[in-house]
Amino acid sequence: MQDLPRPVPRGDRDTAPFWEAQREHRLTFQRCSNCNEVRYPVGPMCPECRSFEFEWIESSGRGTVYSFTVVRHQTHPAFAVPYTVALVEMEEGPRLIAELKGDGAASPEIGTAVKVEWVDHPKQPLPVFVPDQEQS
Amino acid sequence: MTIRNKAAIVGIGQTEFSKNSGRSTHRMALEAILGALDDAGLEPAEIDGMVKMGANDDVFEIDLLRSLGLDNLRFFAEIPHGGGAACGTIAGAVAAVTAGMADVVVTFRALNERSERRFGESTVGGGIGGWMQYNMPHGLVTPAQWIAMYAQRYLHEYGHTTEEFGRVSVLTRKHAATNPHAMMYERPVTLEEHQSSRWITEPLRLLDCCLDTDGACATVVVSAEKAKSLKGTPAYIAAAAQGTGTRSEMMTSYQRKNIARLEEAETTGKELYRVAEIEPKDIDVAEIYDHFTPMVLMALEAYGFAKPGEAPKLFQNGALELDGEMPLNTHGGHLGEGYLHGFGHIVEGVRQIRGTAVNQASNVKTCLVTSGTGVPTSGIILSQEAY
Repeated sequence: MQDLPRPVPRGDRDTAPFWEAQREHRLTFQRCSNCNEVRYPVGPMCPECRSFEFEWIESSGRGTVYSFTVVRHQTHPAFAVPYTVALVEMEEGPRLIAELKGDGAASPEIGTAVKVEWVDHPKQPLPVFVPDQEQS
Repeated sequence: MTIRNKAAIVGIGQTEFSKNSGRSTHRMALEAILGALDDAGLEPAEIDGMVKMGANDDVFEIDLLRSLGLDNLRFFAEIPHGGGAACGTIAGAVAAVTAGMADVVVTFRALNERSERRFGESTVGGGIGGWMQYNMPHGLVTPAQWIAMYAQRYLHEYGHTTEEFGRVSVLTRKHAATNPHAMMYERPVTLEEHQSSRWITEPLRLLDCCLDTDGACATVVVSAEKAKSLKGTPAYIAAAAQGTGTRSEMMTSYQRKNIARLEEAETTGKELYRVAEIEPKDIDVAEIYDHFTPMVLMALEAYGFAKPGEAPKLFQNGALELDGEMPLNTHGGHLGEGYLHGFGHIVEGVRQIRGTAVNQASNVKTCLVTSGTGVPTSGIILSQEAY
């Protein structure tokens, strides 16, 4: 399954550090150096104060399921159905898309506490979410 | 100063809608455009402006210009963001004719979306950039899957079930069933059939998703002044607007406060009503973009026909039936007539204003037409009178 041609983010001059950090199993977000606003998706300017200055912060990896879909109809050879993709609201604020694995992934509930684990795909390791017993 | 009733759609044209047109999008665009010109009583040589939709299009204005043997366009533009662009092409045309930058502007959409490039099929291979880099590596690869995130949250926020989605499907297919032009002519569906149709990506079933269609549509837009000299009944453009929302992304505006509401449609609606100087209660018939059923519910709320979470009631009390307060998607929409990326809705809106639709609503003075949702969007209000 993991050897199939999963789409790979190519990264650009803004987003490359985001993906490079994930190759080291670190989920990072940008935090504005001026007003401390955490922003996502990756971008060059803080939408709150319009500062270009920022630093990368490492996420706790914890969040809750905000929405999800259980994909039943296959359209891409890398993604055998069924599988669940969740939109997770992270502790730092951003909502992140990633696959949901583990207990209950086939019939998830909004509000479930989850945490990041890492899957080493050939070209780009990616986060997945699993239920977080400590949080819930 | 606004553009209220300063321009009109004076011609409409369309090909048949099918699973396999057997010809190029270039040819179908020409057929639809010639139909629209003939409808308006204009000659191809009078075209001096064109506005097209940007996404997944392989027909460019210069191709059409070459085929029509024309030398010069004074105004040409392309509107971005997929199905959100359809009414935006009309907005662009209105801007051009009211500013005197063109006299006769053609807008069009031509797709072999079933027989050639199906939008529901994901792109395989290659590096992913832009907004898709955050979604596609994780298996969120098609419009249905992107929209499912909004739909699931909508169910959660308001405690609805997927039966509410099913009623959108049933009503739309009912209208398609009496439209001979529709791919689903004489093929209505029941709520039970909706509920037992196969899952595509939960909470969306097969009958929540639009059709795949080959076909083309075109319109001709001129100034209200010029419209008076033409043979047909003009559909005056009381308002045309585009809109965006907070933290907008192409199809995945997931960072905004509440994704169970369509901010782009709310902002577009406010601008339309401001320019047209009317309110939602003044709309006689509505052609609402229906790529996926939940988005019709959310759009009806965004355009002011129901409070947030309460659009399902409109499907239960008959308000949207042909004899109801505000008939909805009278042609059968993308779910039943065919998927022309919002252009079928525009063409039907003009017919409703003219009183020539197959499923004609009664006493139509105003018609709201809206375009794609979950993306930066657009809409128009058509009027029978240049009030």
